[in-house]
Amino acid sequence: MKDQIIDLKGEMSLLTVLVLYSTDMHAIGAALEAKGQQASHFLERSPIILDCQLLGEAGLALDFVELKLQVSKLGFVPVGLRNLWVDAEAKALEAGWALLRPSKQQPVANTPAVTEVNLTPVSPEAVQRLLVLDRPVRSGQQVYCPQGDIVVLQHTSAGSELLAGGSVHVYGALRGRVLAGVQGDTQARIFCERLEAELIAIAGRYRLLDEIESNLKGQSVMIYLDQEKLKIVPI
Amino acid sequence: MSRIVVVTSGKGGVGKTTTSAAFATGLALKGYKTAVIDFDVGLRNLDLIMGCERRVVYDFINVISGEANIKQALIKDKRSDNLFILPASQTRDKDSLTQEGVEQVLKDLSEDGFDFIICDSPAGIERGAALAMHFADDAIIVTNPEVSSVRDSDRILGLLQSRTLKAERGESIREHLLITRYSPTRVASGDMLAMEDILEILAVPLIGVIPESGSVLQASNSGVPVILDKESTAGQAYDDFVRRFLGETVPHRFLEVEKKGLFKRLFGG
Repeated sequence: MKDQIIDLKGEMSLLTVLVLYSTDMHAIGAALEAKGQQASHFLERSPIILDCQLLGEAGLALDFVELKLQVSKLGFVPVGLRNLWVDAEAKALEAGWALLRPSKQQPVANTPAVTEVNLTPVSPEAVQRLLVLDRPVRSGQQVYCPQGDIVVLQHTSAGSELLAGGSVHVYGALRGRVLAGVQGDTQARIFCERLEAELIAIAGRYRLLDEIESNLKGQSVMIYLDQEKLKIVPI
Repeated sequence: MSRIVVVTSGKGGVGKTTTSAAFATGLALKGYKTAVIDFDVGLRNLDLIMGCERRVVYDFINVISGEANIKQALIKDKRSDNLFILPASQTRDKDSLTQEGVEQVLKDLSEDGFDFIICDSPAGIERGAALAMHFADDAIIVTNPEVSSVRDSDRILGLLQSRTLKAERGESIREHLLITRYSPTRVASGDMLAMEDILEILAVPLIGVIPESGSVLQASNSGVPVILDKESTAGQAYDDFVRRFLGETVPHRFLEVEKKGLFKRLFGG
């Protein structure tokens, strides 16, 4: 397969969706600018899909060239339009837009049209850097802190799951699964007072407790990634 | 305002209904007006254990669907004027339970002046169990000294903290752990989890330990809540549990292997 130059694959990716409530270019421009000031870093060069479901037939009135300009000006990379009124499709294609198949998760039609533009991602200030839990994490519970650390002041039970973008600290027995650095952060670490976990993972490298040297079970340990290997050391 | 208490466990067959019957009877005997509701729609059992299965006319689902009012459906206990049973339907399934319906029934009972409403949860974590716990102020988590039962109780504790009305309001349900079918002999021989191990895993305040006892089965089959059997260790332990629930300080009993005295050794016991 060395001769292969490219490969075309169908893939699902997470994209930001911009839901349009209005066809008024001025209003859209102003609303985009306001959003941009709130969350500029977050939006920079992120691919975006525009959803025209709520416009219905009014989608015909959209100025597709101007729309592309407005969206690009803010730093987005426009990917395409979806749920566009059929008769407007030719005009959109002409302006260089791609047309996407409608998603299964269609926006609810009765959403009140209070704002002109509705952006899905949260602003950077709202990103949680630390999640502190003062109760035990029970079997069947999943705690996810995508961008930050998790600190548990009690034990975690068998059958529970902790997922953190950063590190995980457990001030008690760690009995469930624990995954640190889930976004790929190899610097993330796991600390616990008593290692009885079912599975430990950092940045995708995982180990089961069965494989762990028995002398470390029940000990206070720190777990970190050394090159490609998970290291467990007593603390 | 009534105090709503759910008796739950996750796992089946650990003694929820036995506990609900004993608990409700105990509260009633102490003078509190008590209602006990069977949430196990389709697998009606509470009425059997309470010994009123031949007096069921209307049931919980009839009340929820408006075919009967709460007064018509409540069965007054033969032994106590303070105790009322709301049986489950045997012919319907748990989908007939609605959150609004359950809320209305609890509200009606509360307005009727009930001090305690005991919700006997079905096993599992589906609709019946979810609705039994939804409006609760307190939860009695019934656990056997056995790994799978403890694991399921842990799961239920997680749900109590996330799926109930109190949790939605940012408050928390009072949790009480009740260990049933405890056999000190089998704990000593290593067949059963010890009380300390269970407490270590669940980290919930202990409200009682009910010893394994033949009188529980006997009581169930004869339709007399075991708390009324003052001779049996299980009956006494249930009485201790009710007193602790009402705020008394009562030391735990029946935790050690009983040393057989000369009399017992000679004549058996």
